[in-house]
Amino acid sequence: MPSLDYTSAAEVTAQLEERLVEAVGEKPDVSRRTVLGGLGVAGSAAVGIGSTRAGADSGHDEDEHGTFGAVDEYRDSTFDPHEFLRTFNTGESGQDAVPQRIYEENGRTVREFEFTAVDTTITIAPGIEFEAWAFNGQVPGPTIRAVEGDLIRVTFENFGRHAHTIHPHLKNLDPEMDGIPQNGPGVLETGESYTYEWIAQPAGVHFYHCHSLPLKEHIHRGLYGAMIVDPDPERVRENPADYVTDHPSQITDAMVDDLVDEAKTRNHEYAENDAVNELVIVMNSFDTNFDGGNEVYAANTRAFAYGVGETDGNGDWTAGETKRPIRIDKNERQRVYLVNATEFDLVNSFHTHSQFFDYYDHGTTLLPTRQTVDTVMQTQAQRGIIELDYSDHEPGLYMFHAHQSEFAELGWMSFFEVV
Amino acid sequence: MADERRDTTTDGGLPAETEVGQPLGVPRWVTAVLPIVLLVLVLGAFVFTSPLAGIQGGEPLPDVTVTHSTLPSDDTVVLHVTNNGPEEVTISQVLVDEAYWNFRVEGAGGDRTLEPRESARVVVPYHWNPGWDLEVDLVLSDGATVSHGIEAPQQSPGFGADVLWTLALIGLFVGVIPVALGMLWFPYIRTMSDRTLHAVLLFATGVLAFLAFDAGFEAFELAERIPGAYEGNLLVVSGVLGALLLVQSISSWREGRAAGDGRAGGGLWVAYLVALGIGLHNLAEGLAIGSSFALGRVSLGAFLVIGFMLHNVTEGPAVVAPVARDERPAWWHFVALGLLAGAPVILGGWIGSLAYSPTVGAFFLAIGVGAILQVVWEITRMVRDAGGRVGSATNLLAFLIGFAVMYATDIFVAI
Repeated sequence: MPSLDYTSAAEVTAQLEERLVEAVGEKPDVSRRTVLGGLGVAGSAAVGIGSTRAGADSGHDEDEHGTFGAVDEYRDSTFDPHEFLRTFNTGESGQDAVPQRIYEENGRTVREFEFTAVDTTITIAPGIEFEAWAFNGQVPGPTIRAVEGDLIRVTFENFGRHAHTIHPHLKNLDPEMDGIPQNGPGVLETGESYTYEWIAQPAGVHFYHCHSLPLKEHIHRGLYGAMIVDPDPERVRENPADYVTDHPSQITDAMVDDLVDEAKTRNHEYAENDAVNELVIVMNSFDTNFDGGNEVYAANTRAFAYGVGETDGNGDWTAGETKRPIRIDKNERQRVYLVNATEFDLVNSFHTHSQFFDYYDHGTTLLPTRQTVDTVMQTQAQRGIIELDYSDHEPGLYMFHAHQSEFAELGWMSFFEVV
Repeated sequence: MADERRDTTTDGGLPAETEVGQPLGVPRWVTAVLPIVLLVLVLGAFVFTSPLAGIQGGEPLPDVTVTHSTLPSDDTVVLHVTNNGPEEVTISQVLVDEAYWNFRVEGAGGDRTLEPRESARVVVPYHWNPGWDLEVDLVLSDGATVSHGIEAPQQSPGFGADVLWTLALIGLFVGVIPVALGMLWFPYIRTMSDRTLHAVLLFATGVLAFLAFDAGFEAFELAERIPGAYEGNLLVVSGVLGALLLVQSISSWREGRAAGDGRAGGGLWVAYLVALGIGLHNLAEGLAIGSSFALGRVSLGAFLVIGFMLHNVTEGPAVVAPVARDERPAWWHFVALGLLAGAPVILGGWIGSLAYSPTVGAFFLAIGVGAILQVVWEITRMVRDAGGRVGSATNLLAFLIGFAVMYATDIFVAI
């Protein structure tokens, strides 16, 4: 004889179930208004007519359901994210807005740049303006590119209302040059200027940003940018162990040759580099309503800038004037310098559709730190190099985006158009 | 009494007996117009010289209200928005559940910019799920967001002959029939003693007072959703006071006009006023029904009609009680009284479903409250004029019972 009475157990279960359903189904704030609305059904039911059309008719899904994406094109033409993708300031060449020169000093190559901090207004989604603080008037700031061992000299003048600095994510041996309020020149007040000098090391893709307080405000308002240090093939041949995660005993001569070859493709001063299509993508975000959460996420500031202009959802699409995919040649090797400048969220990510890639964390190694992945994540200030090969893909649109689906629908959604 | 007032004006003041001499001999109208002219000049000087420019800082904040939303089909969401601010605003993007979504703005002159006080509809093609809450944010050009939550979305029935017919039937059952049934107590009321009749009249004022509170709270609740520029709470107060004083002044005017005419002071006039007050209340009730319809808030069961009928049937004796001591009015008076009190439910339902707006809704409710308060005033005076004592124990209890009965039936309705 079981000690449990199954019938009463079933009753108790049914009661509990009912109570749960009631508790969940209860709508505590049903207003009089709602109740009055109920009369619609009640009245017609009472009189025996039933056509309130309140029930959705079934079977009419042929029409459009709408699609996500920012409406309209960008009106403001002061910043072009397509141009930004491929613009590197090397001292020899770069943007007109960034005065720069290159010269020898004590046997070392010096790449000098003039930076300013200004308060400006940028467009982050069609029709949405953002009061930004910007290096040289643009967000992200200019991409600096140097070769390992060069001296990067940045003369920085602050035209903004607030005090600013430039803090480089480099291996920096001089604390005065760290660009923090507590050291060296400290913060630069409006009108003040200072010349930062940094040795370009280690090789990789790096990040620079303002380190004034409040920190998250100064960064999220736009004072950041990418800094690329190209590996020096000669140094690679002498110190190959610095460029791999393997133990030195595992490094063979053949491997060193490969590393040197790889370094040449990374170094903009070598012809091998010309064969690679290089792109800079800074993942960033904007809190427009001061609630500590982002309303816009983007690759290079402008929401959906690398999306399609219009689509009917059936594969027919048109490029917009300012919103269009990144066109790439399928026979070229693609290299993306990816930097995460997202504020307020723990991580951002990069995901490619129909494609796997090699990833070099911080770009400080010449062999991938992760191979054949289609998603990587980065915390704020983390960065890396992504290498893609579309040679065996059919021409067409290939999406890539943050795989926080929320970020994708809020602007960080892009396409490669493989031709 | 009338004799003592002979030498006073209608407002009780003394007539001006002597012409006061005009200074400098200017005509009278000049002295009337002069302050206005000067005011215009001062305002002009203020506007053009901007004396406050030095101390004004910052721009006014954008102020946009989403008054309500409608869901005309299962793949469309429509937000009805009003710009309350003194500056124009531009709706640059729309977020639906934290995703940028395509949309268009209708009714703002072809663009997405709303002038001050301008209203428009934001139409979003979005395939929503019935019952799954939606959060829609409008992102303005400066990045400010305006949020609007749509709870348990249901399709709005739209508009057509069948909807009008349905609302008319609901109105018939909720408004006209109960009031008519209540009026059938008339023969019985006629047989009552003065004392009982006065108690019934006070019972009616209890009913009316309850309705005034009910509609008043509802109006203030609605007022919160009125665009800020229209000052919802003050609109309600103005509606209440305005209706009260307007009906009262009509009443006084009629009384003064037809002094000596037997019917003027009679109960029929009061009966009509009661019917008008209840009718205005029922108009607001109809608005609520219609707007719930328009907003797709259609739920619950048929027993509510029964609840409403019980609730409204008490309005019938309130209408006919004032004529209990008069000669029995012609039958068509009863029809007219019943229609005046009950039929506005139908009218309100139509208005609510066609042109729903919280502003209109709150204003109608407020007018209803004002009219009801005036009727309460009128009935108590009627009792007093008939030699009764308003504050007697029986009467106060009757009032309380009227109030309590309404409260009880209201609970039945508002389950």
